[in-house]
Amino acid sequence: MKRILNLMPLVVFGILVVVLYSFLTQENEQLESVLVDQSVPEFKLPALENPNNILSKSSVNKLPALINVWATWCIACRVEHPFLMQLKNKSTLTVYGLNYKDDRKKALDLLENEGNPFEFSIFDQQGKLAIDLGVYGAPETFFVDKEGIIRERHVGALTQKVWKEKFEKFLNEDNDV
Amino acid sequence: MIPEIGHIFLISSLVLSLVGGLGPFIFNKELPIRKIALLMCLLVFGSFFTLIYSFVVDDFSVAYVAQNSNINLPIYYKFAATWGAHEGSLILWILSMNIWLLAFISFDKNRNTNFSNLVFGVCSLVIFSFLLFTVFTSNPFERILPIPPLNGADLNPSLQDFAFTVHPPLLYFGYSGLLLPFAISISAMLSGQSNKDWASSSRPWTLLACSFLTVGIGLGSWWAYYELGWGGWWFWDPVENAAFVPWLLAVALVHSLIVTENRNLFVNWSLLLSIFAFAASLLGTFLVRSGILTSVHAFALDPERGLFILGIFSFFVLGGLAIFAFKNSTENKTSFYSLNSKEFGLLLNNVLLVVLAVSILFGTLYPLIYEAYTGGKQISVGAPYFEFIIFPFSILLGLLQGIALYLSWGSTKSFNFLTKLILESLSIFLLTLVLLFVLFDELIPASFFTIFIFSWLIVGSLLINFSFKSFNKYLDFLNRRIGVLLSHTGMALLVLGVGVVSSYSNEIELILDTGEKIEFLNKDVELLDIKDINGPNFISKTANIKVLDSGRTFNLQTEKRTYFPSGQVTTEAAIDTGIFRDFYISMGDNFKGDSWSFKLQSKPFIRWIWLGALLITLGTFISSINILRRKS
Amino acid sequence: MFKKFFSLMLITIIYSLVSANEPKVIYPFEDSVHEERFLSLLNELRCPKCQGSNLAGSNAPIANDLKREVYRLVKSGRTEEEVKTYLIDRYGNFIVYDPPFRPDTYALWLGPLFIFLITLSIILVILLTRFSNSKGNQ
Repeated sequence: MKRILNLMPLVVFGILVVVLYSFLTQENEQLESVLVDQSVPEFKLPALENPNNILSKSSVNKLPALINVWATWCIACRVEHPFLMQLKNKSTLTVYGLNYKDDRKKALDLLENEGNPFEFSIFDQQGKLAIDLGVYGAPETFFVDKEGIIRERHVGALTQKVWKEKFEKFLNEDNDV
Repeated sequence: MIPEIGHIFLISSLVLSLVGGLGPFIFNKELPIRKIALLMCLLVFGSFFTLIYSFVVDDFSVAYVAQNSNINLPIYYKFAATWGAHEGSLILWILSMNIWLLAFISFDKNRNTNFSNLVFGVCSLVIFSFLLFTVFTSNPFERILPIPPLNGADLNPSLQDFAFTVHPPLLYFGYSGLLLPFAISISAMLSGQSNKDWASSSRPWTLLACSFLTVGIGLGSWWAYYELGWGGWWFWDPVENAAFVPWLLAVALVHSLIVTENRNLFVNWSLLLSIFAFAASLLGTFLVRSGILTSVHAFALDPERGLFILGIFSFFVLGGLAIFAFKNSTENKTSFYSLNSKEFGLLLNNVLLVVLAVSILFGTLYPLIYEAYTGGKQISVGAPYFEFIIFPFSILLGLLQGIALYLSWGSTKSFNFLTKLILESLSIFLLTLVLLFVLFDELIPASFFTIFIFSWLIVGSLLINFSFKSFNKYLDFLNRRIGVLLSHTGMALLVLGVGVVSSYSNEIELILDTGEKIEFLNKDVELLDIKDINGPNFISKTANIKVLDSGRTFNLQTEKRTYFPSGQVTTEAAIDTGIFRDFYISMGDNFKGDSWSFKLQSKPFIRWIWLGALLITLGTFISSINILRRKS
Repeated sequence: MFKKFFSLMLITIIYSLVSANEPKVIYPFEDSVHEERFLSLLNELRCPKCQGSNLAGSNAPIANDLKREVYRLVKSGRTEEEVKTYLIDRYGNFIVYDPPFRPDTYALWLGPLFIFLITLSIILVILLTRFSNSKGNQ
């Protein structure tokens, strides 16, 4: 009895070490996405290109599509910009922009100089739609399937590698149907 | 060249600590342990010194310097930047372990007994493992060659501050101080040293470690209060919890060692607790430095470092516990104590402190457990949870502490003191309420409980109601017990500070134009102007604010600083400090033209928190010094 | 620079809400219950982008957006629970520092009690065996 009691601390700490080890090997580089498998939220926001053109959920109608959160102040957005251009030219997938907390003129200048990969950009200066989408910052990318359901979310720059790993499969799946 | 010398120092101390660590286990006796300890300490100090030198002379070819310093950084902060990040702070940590070891050996009266040789050996092995960790995963002397950068990336601006320069060394000193109780516990089990002996040799060092931990944590809290610009003094952040848990265990150990030394009881428990306290300090290191707790958004997880620290943790803690499991029990089985004894009181104290520590650790780790268990779902456990948990524990601990000093060993003959204690604490309670009402024109019932605990603690700590023959006798009594008196009173003040500041605080967020005057809590607050000021490595918007508070006029400056190497923005709060309240202004965002948003806060009694911590620091320090003096 | 634009937006909102003479409180409330609810929510909601700080303790753009959203919701009379649910639906449980008491957090909330009971029973066992030992020795 005494022996067993004396062994107990060792056993408890042994378990603790195993648990801590499992934390180390745990992959946790992605954020939880609540909106995956839910429909795109309703919104009413102006278009970047034309403040008088009020966009809503029904404007996002060329599906499947990507919704890309971007801004001129965001450095990683510049990194993914060429890839978005490439996507636009090569793929049938539509890319919608969500211009996040930005300066309209600067944003338009950037699109003019570096090319516009977006079907259109939603101008969300106060981050209203961004809050509804659970956006943390820019860049972020959402995949919306044919039914208007969000299927995947990526936080950080969208690169070829990320595209292959996380998004490409949805495109194939949609083609099969 | 200089950094290479530092590197050589580091490697030599690595070799030396291995020799020193294995020596006692191989040769048994007659090692010049004092000389080895001194040499080890000098080598690590030399290596630390060369690192400081590299910072001071802006040697940006050293990667660590380039990452954490900048030409424009004021010289004082260049010096302190040495421990501003992982690698340098690790060296500081190792240095403080060496200093503890050296101090232990110098004060140890029975030098070169098997016991002290073993303590030396265990300490050296721990130091060796930390040096190994440094040399292999975190070498601060690594160079960027052949083309070193012209300038460094700068020290994190919020660390460019006085409190920061002293807070980490003190905290590391406290953390690493828990090495000695650990080593003593292991050596006691291996050598069969008598319980009274090992407990009495462990107690002063535990007290001293506790003292440094308290002041380190206190300074950290003070720093967070004025530097982060939000007026909070404790955030229940994982990093803070990583320091708080070892503190709780160290406090528990301080108390249980008293029983072991005086009554030959709680022997196994004290042995274990010494291991737990050290384990908690290693665990804190692991959690903070592997990045697993803060990695939710910082994607810079460093599994290699984490794995290494976990290795150190497993080796020493599991090793220690295995020795514990298979040693021969030396517990005194005959002495008996009743439920109304001091022994039982201290037992309760230990149970509460340890369960609280484990619960806080559990809450801190829960998000990780949850994520593993649910496959990636995330959860936050923060202040509301920890406050909910700590509340019942602090009530019980408070009630216990109030009567603690009246209890006697074996069994307490009479509980007559209770009536007096209750009456006197009630009067202090009422007096405090009157004071609060005079000061703030209101009474908030939510704070009554903590204020009562404060009164209870004050009476119980100062033992005002003990009957003494004369006042001089009372003073003499206090003088003899000055350590315990100071730390227990410190706890009382801390409780009052926490209670009042969490109920009586007021805040308002508003926009001020230049020249605008408003009223807040009977104070006239006027924004005089906002100026651009250039500092050595930052530009700042400084708001000059005039405050008229009950006839007293003073000016306060709050700043928004942009540090130019990193572009990072910090808020410098303006604080009018006072014993009964702090008036705290912090600058927010710029609106049109010269209007800015400001946050105005009144923080009553917040100073009492740090005053309390300071008293605990002093009390434990004095106790420790007294014991060491008595021994030598 | 987006900050400036955001500030302009905010200031128009604020100017429309407050009269010229009173202090321009950023989040004004007529109802003190609402105000307290708002302040306590700011303390219990986590700033998603920052490392371990709540909305009250952050000036990050997203924290300001969320503060504004919380203000709007509280002002429109939503309860504390409703605001939390609103944000959890968008950001997940991560956003609240005060995890709700649900099956997946039973362990969290009851853990300390469990630890306490286990410790007590261990001590009881030890004390009882000691008691019977010393009785036996006598």
